[in-house]
Amino acid sequence: MSSKPKSRWANTAEDAEFEARLKKEKEEKRRKKAQKLQEEEQKKQALLAASSTTPRTAEANDDDDDNNQDASTVPPPPSSSSRPSKRRKLTPEPSTTNNTITPSSSSSSALLRFDVGTWKPCRSVDHYDKLNDIEEGTYGFVARATEIASGRVVALKRLKLEPGDPNGLPVTGLREIQILKKCRHRNVVAMEEVVVGNDLSKPDNSIFLVLEFVEHDLKSILQDMPEPFLSSEVKRLLLQLTAGVSYLHQHYILHRDLKTSNLLLSNRGLLKIADFGMARLVGDPRPKLTQLVVTLWYRAPELLLGARDYDAAVDMWSVGCIMGELITREPLLQGSNEVDQISKVFELCGVPTDESWPSFRRLPNARSLRLPKHTPPQASGSVIRARFPNLTAAGASLLNSLLSLDPERRPSAAQMLDHEYFRQDPKPKPESLFPTFPSKAGQERRRRHEPDAPVRGQAVALGDVDFSGIFQGRDKEERGAGFSLRMV
Amino acid sequence: MSLLANPLATPSQLYHRASSSSLPRELDEAVFVATQCLTQAAGRLLQLPQSVTAQANVLLARFWLTESPMAHEFSDVSAAAIYLVAKLGPLPRSPRDVSNVYAYLSSANSALFPTGGLLKDDPRSYYQTEADYYAFQQRMLGLEARILRSIGFDTHVSLPHSLAITYLQTLDFLLQPRTTVSLRTIQYLNTALLSPQMLYITHQPNALATAAIYNAARDLGAKMPEHEWWEIFDVDREELGFLVVAMRSLDGWMQKLKDEFPSFGSKMLTRSMVEEELAKRGLHVGNGDEAPVDAEDEVMRMMDSR
Repeated sequence: MSSKPKSRWANTAEDAEFEARLKKEKEEKRRKKAQKLQEEEQKKQALLAASSTTPRTAEANDDDDDNNQDASTVPPPPSSSSRPSKRRKLTPEPSTTNNTITPSSSSSSALLRFDVGTWKPCRSVDHYDKLNDIEEGTYGFVARATEIASGRVVALKRLKLEPGDPNGLPVTGLREIQILKKCRHRNVVAMEEVVVGNDLSKPDNSIFLVLEFVEHDLKSILQDMPEPFLSSEVKRLLLQLTAGVSYLHQHYILHRDLKTSNLLLSNRGLLKIADFGMARLVGDPRPKLTQLVVTLWYRAPELLLGARDYDAAVDMWSVGCIMGELITREPLLQGSNEVDQISKVFELCGVPTDESWPSFRRLPNARSLRLPKHTPPQASGSVIRARFPNLTAAGASLLNSLLSLDPERRPSAAQMLDHEYFRQDPKPKPESLFPTFPSKAGQERRRRHEPDAPVRGQAVALGDVDFSGIFQGRDKEERGAGFSLRMV
Repeated sequence: MSLLANPLATPSQLYHRASSSSLPRELDEAVFVATQCLTQAAGRLLQLPQSVTAQANVLLARFWLTESPMAHEFSDVSAAAIYLVAKLGPLPRSPRDVSNVYAYLSSANSALFPTGGLLKDDPRSYYQTEADYYAFQQRMLGLEARILRSIGFDTHVSLPHSLAITYLQTLDFLLQPRTTVSLRTIQYLNTALLSPQMLYITHQPNALATAAIYNAARDLGAKMPEHEWWEIFDVDREELGFLVVAMRSLDGWMQKLKDEFPSFGSKMLTRSMVEEELAKRGLHVGNGDEAPVDAEDEVMRMMDSR
């Protein structure tokens, strides 16, 4: 206060202090009175008044410090200011409003505000420096790069553009961007921004997604590791995968291409779901969807039978396939084409019956299936328990339910997180204790054949398929407690 | 991730746009409104639901916040916006359909701009040759990429319409017949899409919905709750007041526009029309991309080169 040059008419410091004290007392009285009154009227409003943090008017700045501190917890009554406030009042006084609005008090409540940011034009890809190629996916090329300004390492995914495409930018790529922009989850790969090439005027100017760089993909780890994952590691990986899938499904996103090569694993044991080239947002009611989704080996039976109206359960089937693959290091169901795939599914899970999958006969391709007339009871059940002798009962029941032929019977991702399997010993291994692997991203490596994600176009009809023979001789198979010892 | 909120324009973006615009304000606003109306009409003809067309309106507003409207033909920008939004949604439309619709709308036969006399349907006026179509498609697809780049691929748009209905349910439809009050509310929301104040990129859907309900209630003489009910919907008094006035003023504003700019609404607004209007007023404007050429500089350069 003393630092300010005083005018002749200004009060002395003592005066100001006295005035402030008076005002404080006055305010205190008024507050108590108002509080009482309001409590009688409405308990809620009184609460608001006591806790409110109404922005102070300009007069507060001129007051003494002690007054200021005190006053910040007390809402200034509208008429208490002795001097006219210098700031323009933005909120009109209650008395001046029209008769339809009668605000209760000068208190303001906490309103929900979204921190959403804004948009700005894409930056140029020149802000990044390419290090090496990582791989070529179905919908784009991925390269490792550094941001020049910060030196951070990122993955640059370039959208595949058809130069003469009469439909412009590929809708799959646009959906991927749209979906990745909405996702914020530790088990979903994060997109930082979208950058573009420099030929702005051309419609086929290249577009790059800047993604966080993750060292490995699960498929190449599985291929190269000498020993399968321990069951505690499998549990942790599955838990992370399920948490990510649960997040996606909660946000109305179907991934539709879950497979081990689309799951990334960082050196710290953190799993991230990647490649949203097939993903899409589904509302309620669901839009018409294409059946041509999910890489063949991970494709759910209802898709193989041509369902157009499917839901999140198709992702859960893929999760089941991935669970099997994590345990054995081999893809669970390696069909060579659609027909072979579905016969492999039936071999593993049993042929569908009216009990195990009541609605399957209504699916488009089901009519062309010739199933054995009288299924022996042992053939209609699944052989999952026998295929995975090392799995505990809880683990087998989880895998069994994930690989239910009937999509209705598969658990949702949220249900799966609560499964007994994850609570049993051995407990899921903490991420920080995961082994590390040499990062392969960018180096030469052997890639085993795997069918690609389906491309948009004509669906393959199954045609007439005879499955009546697939369980012949099954009763002659040896059956027993199939356990095995792990030598090491 | 929020399904209820939109990215908003920052004050500096709005300021920059206002200060760097090559058009006088009322012309700029006229261009905005005319193009938004055109987009709405095209959405109807393409049989797209309003939830899609409205998103195209919002994307268009976002695009023009960062790019000068004079840089491209207005109808092409409109077409690219609606094509893009439809493609991302459940009801994609082919470039051919979009091309036909815009050819029709810009023709003399267009029902969007009634000229007084009864329309005689003359397909020749909106027939497109293959070359026309190809040129249109190239422009539209180029603009599609351009729009996406300018808005940073942020195509997410939350609309206030469904929120408004939920709010009305909470308010028990203000004791009015449901259809009447909902219709009025939605009408306010749809009209606000056209507002040159660009309400959809400066305010969140919840505020727009609340203001539309307030206006509808006022129009119908419905009794509103006596408390500050808008706070339930996370809108403060100032924002509500601003939006209420902005939505109500649109009608008079359109009237004024028609008086001032007589060619508005008689046919599709094009860049050349705007340039003509500018020339009439003695202003010169470049193509948006280039800076306007200064005549004096030109003379100086000629003298230098001699």
